[in-house]
Amino acid sequence: MPPADRSPLDGPADGLAAASALRAMADRLEDAEVERAMRAGWSWSQVAEALGVTRQAVHKKHLRRLLLAQIELRRRSGE
Amino acid sequence: MNRLLGARRLAPLLVSWEIAPSLVLQFEVEAKLDGSKFIEAEHMLLALATNPDSDAARLLKESGLDHERLTSALNEERHRTLAFAGMNAPDKKLVEATELDNSLSLGTSAKAALRRALIGSRHHRRRARLRSSDLLAGILEAELGTVPRALAIAGIDRAALIGRARGSE
Repeated sequence: MPPADRSPLDGPADGLAAASALRAMADRLEDAEVERAMRAGWSWSQVAEALGVTRQAVHKKHLRRLLLAQIELRRRSGE
Repeated sequence: MNRLLGARRLAPLLVSWEIAPSLVLQFEVEAKLDGSKFIEAEHMLLALATNPDSDAARLLKESGLDHERLTSALNEERHRTLAFAGMNAPDKKLVEATELDNSLSLGTSAKAALRRALIGSRHHRRRARLRSSDLLAGILEAELGTVPRALAIAGIDRAALIGRARGSE
């Protein structure tokens, strides 16, 4: 807890809030861009490579949402 | 409370504390409108402001805060926060993605607000009764984070508002 007279807008609070906001924004941007890439016909492997993570990680994180978005997903053999 | 998952699973417990089911659903509506993956304290605050008949909304209104003013203060907080990192808030369309159809979970700030609200609430037959004003106080009692930042930016006397919320009948 900060000293009682410290504002929640002081320097460290600003920086920590910015770190948290950027994390949330990066997450939303990733959701949007993965969806855009898959709509454009990118493969899971290509998206994973561009993000710098494994194919399995992208699959696990985004599959359900992409199915809900009714995006035609490329099968592994078609990559 | 940490083991509770989505808002719909949480609803029976919140209702047992006499929080209106419609308010619980509004938490989720506000979080989804904000594009958030969790219900956070600011979404609970916005939800409280949507029901003009509640004590919480009346107390907020007396401090000049309605849903619109809160939304604007929260937007201002987001702009200021991102500006610290040299960024502008992105166009909503840029980060628009298909929403999952699941119920949202409570985020850390929302759980902490509920915990504080319960600690300061009155009990009836050994059961906690959370009034909307208790919930408001629990949200406002955070010293750090999005809500106190937004209220500080809006020039709101948070301590006075907490005092009125805890003291209200």
